[in-house]
Amino acid sequence: MESGLKPLGKEKLWLWLMLTPTLIGLVFGIVGSILATLGLSFTHWDLLTPPRWAGLENYKVLFTDPKLIKALVNTITFSLLYVPAVVVASLAVAMLMNRKIKGLSIFRTIYFLPAVTSAVATAIVWNMIYGQDHGLLNWVLGRIGIAGVSWLSTKNVLSALIIVNVWGAIGEGMIIFLAGLTTIPKDYYEAATLDGANRRKQFWKITLPLITPSIFFQTLMSTINAFQAYDYIYMLTRRGQGDSTFPVMVYSIYRNAWTFFNYGGASAQAIELSLFVVALMAFYFWLEKRYVFYD
Amino acid sequence: MKRTLIMVLLVLVLAFTACTAPAAPVQAPEQASTEKVKLTFSAWGAPEELAVWKEIVNDFQAKYPNITVNVEVGDWDAYWDKIKTQLAANTAPDIFAMDAPLYLDYQTRGVLLNLQPFVDANPDMMKDIYPQTLEAYKTADGYYGLPRDFNTIVLFYNKDMFDKAKVAYPTVDWTWDDLREAAKKLTLDTNGDGKIDQYGYTFDQWDMEPGWSEALWSYGGEIVNAERTKTLIGEPQAREAWQMLYDMVFKDKSCPDANQVAELGGDPFTAGRAAMNAMGHWAVPGYVGAGFQFDAAPMPKGPAGHATSVNSAGFVVAKTTKYPKESFEFIKYVLSPDAQGKLAKLGFAVPVLKSVAESDTFLKQEGSTLIQQVFLDSLEFAHMKPVFRGYDEWAAAVGDGLAPVWNGEAELNATLDEVVKAADAVLAKVK
Repeated sequence: MESGLKPLGKEKLWLWLMLTPTLIGLVFGIVGSILATLGLSFTHWDLLTPPRWAGLENYKVLFTDPKLIKALVNTITFSLLYVPAVVVASLAVAMLMNRKIKGLSIFRTIYFLPAVTSAVATAIVWNMIYGQDHGLLNWVLGRIGIAGVSWLSTKNVLSALIIVNVWGAIGEGMIIFLAGLTTIPKDYYEAATLDGANRRKQFWKITLPLITPSIFFQTLMSTINAFQAYDYIYMLTRRGQGDSTFPVMVYSIYRNAWTFFNYGGASAQAIELSLFVVALMAFYFWLEKRYVFYD
Repeated sequence: MKRTLIMVLLVLVLAFTACTAPAAPVQAPEQASTEKVKLTFSAWGAPEELAVWKEIVNDFQAKYPNITVNVEVGDWDAYWDKIKTQLAANTAPDIFAMDAPLYLDYQTRGVLLNLQPFVDANPDMMKDIYPQTLEAYKTADGYYGLPRDFNTIVLFYNKDMFDKAKVAYPTVDWTWDDLREAAKKLTLDTNGDGKIDQYGYTFDQWDMEPGWSEALWSYGGEIVNAERTKTLIGEPQAREAWQMLYDMVFKDKSCPDANQVAELGGDPFTAGRAAMNAMGHWAVPGYVGAGFQFDAAPMPKGPAGHATSVNSAGFVVAKTTKYPKESFEFIKYVLSPDAQGKLAKLGFAVPVLKSVAESDTFLKQEGSTLIQQVFLDSLEFAHMKPVFRGYDEWAAAVGDGLAPVWNGEAELNATLDEVVKAADAVLAKVK
C-alpha cells in the first residue's frame, strides 16, 4: 500500500504528537492486556484469589473439553460460510446501487438500516420470522405448498444464522464496495463497449480487478467480524441462562470467565481465537501481494 | 458489535486487576458515632427497585445522620460482572446483594466479612426471620450473609382460560396426574389450523428453580447429595419425574418444547399462550400488566407428597469494608419491619420477616387479587434450592446437557446418563 502524501520536517513532530494519546492507549490498553491474557492463560485464576501456575493445562483442555471444541468448530464453520457470503452479497448489492435509478438513496438506506438497528431488536423480529408453528417464513412457504421446518433447530440453525448475519452485514459491505466502484474511471467501460465487450466481460475484466483492494479489505473485516460474531447468534439461539443451541467462541470465553470463575481457561481460549485470526490475516496479506492491484 | 467489544475488553480488563496487590484486611476500628461514614450498597434489580431502595436509604439516613449510603442498582448480568471486577480490584461496595445459590462461590474465596460477631450481638433481630431462609447462609464459622427476601415456587394459573374451558381451578389437593389431565383439556388449537395455540402447562426447562426441581422432590428424588459430591437427578425416582415432564411435552403435547417456548418469546404464560406455569413471586408484577385474570395454588403433590423450592436473595459485606459496624447497621435496618414492608410492596418477593409476611402489608397488595398466602403455606414443604461452590457451572452442565432433550432432538434416559457424568465432573473439579 502506498500513500500519496508524506509528512515533511516539522509536520513529522506534530504527527507524532497528535498520535500520542492513541498510541498510549494502544500500548497500555491493548498490548498490555494481550500480554496479561497470555500470562494468565498459563494459570488457574478465579479472579478473587491469587493465580496458581497451571503450565499448559488450560491449553490441553482446549483439545479435550467437548464444549470448547464445539464452540471452536461452530465459530470456524460459521466463518467459512459467512465470509464469502457477505463479500459476494454486498458486492452484488453495491453493483445494483451503483446505477442511476429512481429512489436510489431510499434503497441505499434500506440496505444500510440493519447496520444501525439494535441487534437485539432485530433478532426478536427474526425469531418471529423463523418460528416453526407461527413463523412468517413457514407461513409463506406453506402458501406456495412447501412444508415448513424448524429453522432454529440444531439441524437448520447454521443456515438460519448465516442468513441473518449476512443480512445484517450487507449495509456496511455495500458502502465499502460503492466507494471502490466509484473510483473506477468511466472511460474504461466506454472503451470496452466500443471494443465490443459485453457487460459480463466488463465485470470480469474491469470491475473485479479494479476493486480487489475493496474485496481484500471487506474479506479482512468480515473475517474479524465472523470470529467475533455473537449478538444475533446468541439472541436467536439462547436457551437457559447462557446456554445456546449454537455456542460460539466469544460467548464461550465470556461465560467461562465471568460465570464459571475460570479466567485462566478463558484466557487460553482467547489466545486460541487470536491465533486463528492472526493466521488468517497472515494468509490474506500473502494473497494481497499476489492478487490485489493498487493503481 | 459493541457488546462483543465490551466482552473482549472485560476479558482483557483482567490485566489490570491482576496487577493490584491485595490490600491487608482492615480491622474494624471502633467508630465514634459522630464520624461521617460513607457506605456503598449495590444490588441487581429493575429501575422501580432503585426507587424503593432510595426510600429505604433515606429512612436509614434519617435514623443515622452520620451515615450516608450510596445505592447502585444494575441489571443481573452487569451487576455480577461489576461485583467480580470490584472485588478483584479491592474496590467492592461495602454491602452488596447476593443470590443464595452463588453465595458459597464468594464465601469460600474469602472475600466476605464474617457477620457472626454482629449477629451474636443482636440476637433479637434473627427471631422473626423464617428459619428456612437462613439455612443457605450458614457456614461452619457462622453467617457471612443474611437473607433479604425469598421466593417459593407455586403454580400460577390463567383464570380466563380455565373458565373458558370449564375446568376447575387447581386446589391444594392436586396431584401431578390432576395437573396433567387439566393441562390436556387446556391445550387448544383455537383457530383450527392444526397447530397448537394454547398450551396447558409450561415450566423452565433449563433452571431447576421454576422448572423441574419441584417435580423431582415430589416424586421422592433428590438433586445432589449432602456432601455435594454426587448428582442425583438420574436416580430412579428422579427419572420417574423427568419421564412425567417429558411425556407432557412430547406425548400429551400439553407443554411447549424448547423451540416452541422460544417462538413464544420465552415466556408462554405471560404471552397468554399457556394456562399454567411454575413460577416465583418475582413474576407477579409482570403478570399484573399482562391483561388476564390469574391466581396461584401450591405445586401439585407427587408420590412422595407436596414439594416445592425455596430460594432467597440476601446481602453480604465485603471483607475490605472500612465500616463493618455501620454496614451491619444498614443490613439490620433493611431487616426491620419498616424497610421489609417497603420491599414487600414492590411485589418481587416475599419478606423474610414473619411479622411482615403474615400482615396485610404483604397479604393484601394493591391492584392484585392474588392469594398471597400460598407463598407462605408452601414454605412448609419447601426444599432449599441447593447452594454450593461451583453452582453456576454445575447448573450449566445440567441445563445445557438436557437442552437437546427439550428441543426434541435427544432421548431422555441416555442424555440423563451423560448429564450426570458431566455434572459430577464439575462437582469433582470445584471441590
